[in-house]
Amino acid sequence: MKVEELKVGENIQYTGEFVIMRDAAQKKLTQFQACPINLEGKIIFYAGPAKKPDDCPIGAIGPTTSARMDKYLEMLFKLGVKATVGKGGRSDLVRDLCKDYKSIYCITPSGCAAGLSKKVIEHKILMFEELQSEAIQKILVKDFPLIVAINSQGHTIWD
Amino acid sequence: MEKEIKETIKQAIRDANTRINEDIKPFIDHYNGPFSEALKENYHISCSTGLPLCQDTGMLEFFCFLGVGFRLERPLQEVLDEIVYEVYKESPYRLSTVDDPLFDRKNRMDNTPAIVHIFSVVGKSLEIRFLIKGGGSENLSRLYMMTPSATKEEVVEQIVQHIKEAGARACPPLKVGIGLGGTSETAMMISKLALTSQISEKNQDQQYALLEDEIKTRINNLKIGFQGLGKGISCYSVHILTHPTHIATLPLAISVDCYLCRTGCVSFEG
Repeated sequence: MKVEELKVGENIQYTGEFVIMRDAAQKKLTQFQACPINLEGKIIFYAGPAKKPDDCPIGAIGPTTSARMDKYLEMLFKLGVKATVGKGGRSDLVRDLCKDYKSIYCITPSGCAAGLSKKVIEHKILMFEELQSEAIQKILVKDFPLIVAINSQGHTIWD
Repeated sequence: MEKEIKETIKQAIRDANTRINEDIKPFIDHYNGPFSEALKENYHISCSTGLPLCQDTGMLEFFCFLGVGFRLERPLQEVLDEIVYEVYKESPYRLSTVDDPLFDRKNRMDNTPAIVHIFSVVGKSLEIRFLIKGGGSENLSRLYMMTPSATKEEVVEQIVQHIKEAGARACPPLKVGIGLGGTSETAMMISKLALTSQISEKNQDQQYALLEDEIKTRINNLKIGFQGLGKGISCYSVHILTHPTHIATLPLAISVDCYLCRTGCVSFEG
């Protein structure tokens, strides 16, 4: 997808990769002088999956409140992150950052974790395994439902 | 007896995590805005696979009405901790509790402790109501120490203002619990207890029943909608519980539950 062309409110059935991280992992990343992981071109999904049953690639998974991650967003953009995915509105700062870095923020349904887990094909823990569900993880998804909530012109679905 | 208590509560917790609350199912079925298909599909998949409805399988809050004639061999806290430990060790849920809240924040790996409130009541039975409380909705809990001269309008305004600012972050439509009176901690606790009410339940006092309706209407007029996207209702119901208070105080506590309303109620005869 061409990020700059996406309009606010547009529905996307996304197939591809997400890098999962949330509060604890981002806080930990701020403690490094040089980022220990390559995030160039990645899409960050704010999530912390439940336990994985033996016969599934991943356990129940869904977005967490993105507003808690606002303070780490500029750090992510400076590391080359292309877009973020989560739930709920974000501060005005995020609207400005999306404009400055030509990035977007998408929402995906919350409280919908059994269903969303069926869209995940592959799952791998990348870093900070000790954080358990909050570790940095990589997933491959198929037809994952997203709505563009903030676009690269800084417009939002809540305007 | 303890074995029966444990098995019954464990099953009720599994049901609340994987089966859609019948009270709210019609609202989800009726909703046809953004992501509506995903929400409907979710509860079918959850029911058939045993995967939880939401990845945040919460902290467990128990409200126990313990009859003085009900015999227990062990402290109720110990029994409920063991129940949470076993259910969350055995099920594909998330282990979401950390030991130290500020410094280490190391995962406890068993989702304990259970949050337990015990009320000693007459009789020989034990009734336990519980909430599976996710972090997203818990972060909206608020306590306001209003002045004793505050008017009904000021109380309503405070509640509506808070939901307007933060309601979209707690996965609406919301069930709203209000605690009025008591001391600060009583107000918070009864606002949580209020969340164990059925949607159709009303305060017995007509004045408060009307106030519940008024607040619900005001919140629905905010048009927050399912998923905070402006379509469908914003609030299922408002439940107010009150407690006598000091002449100099008027504590107002707000708690909310997310659109899944994962609650349960079980009772045992001693």
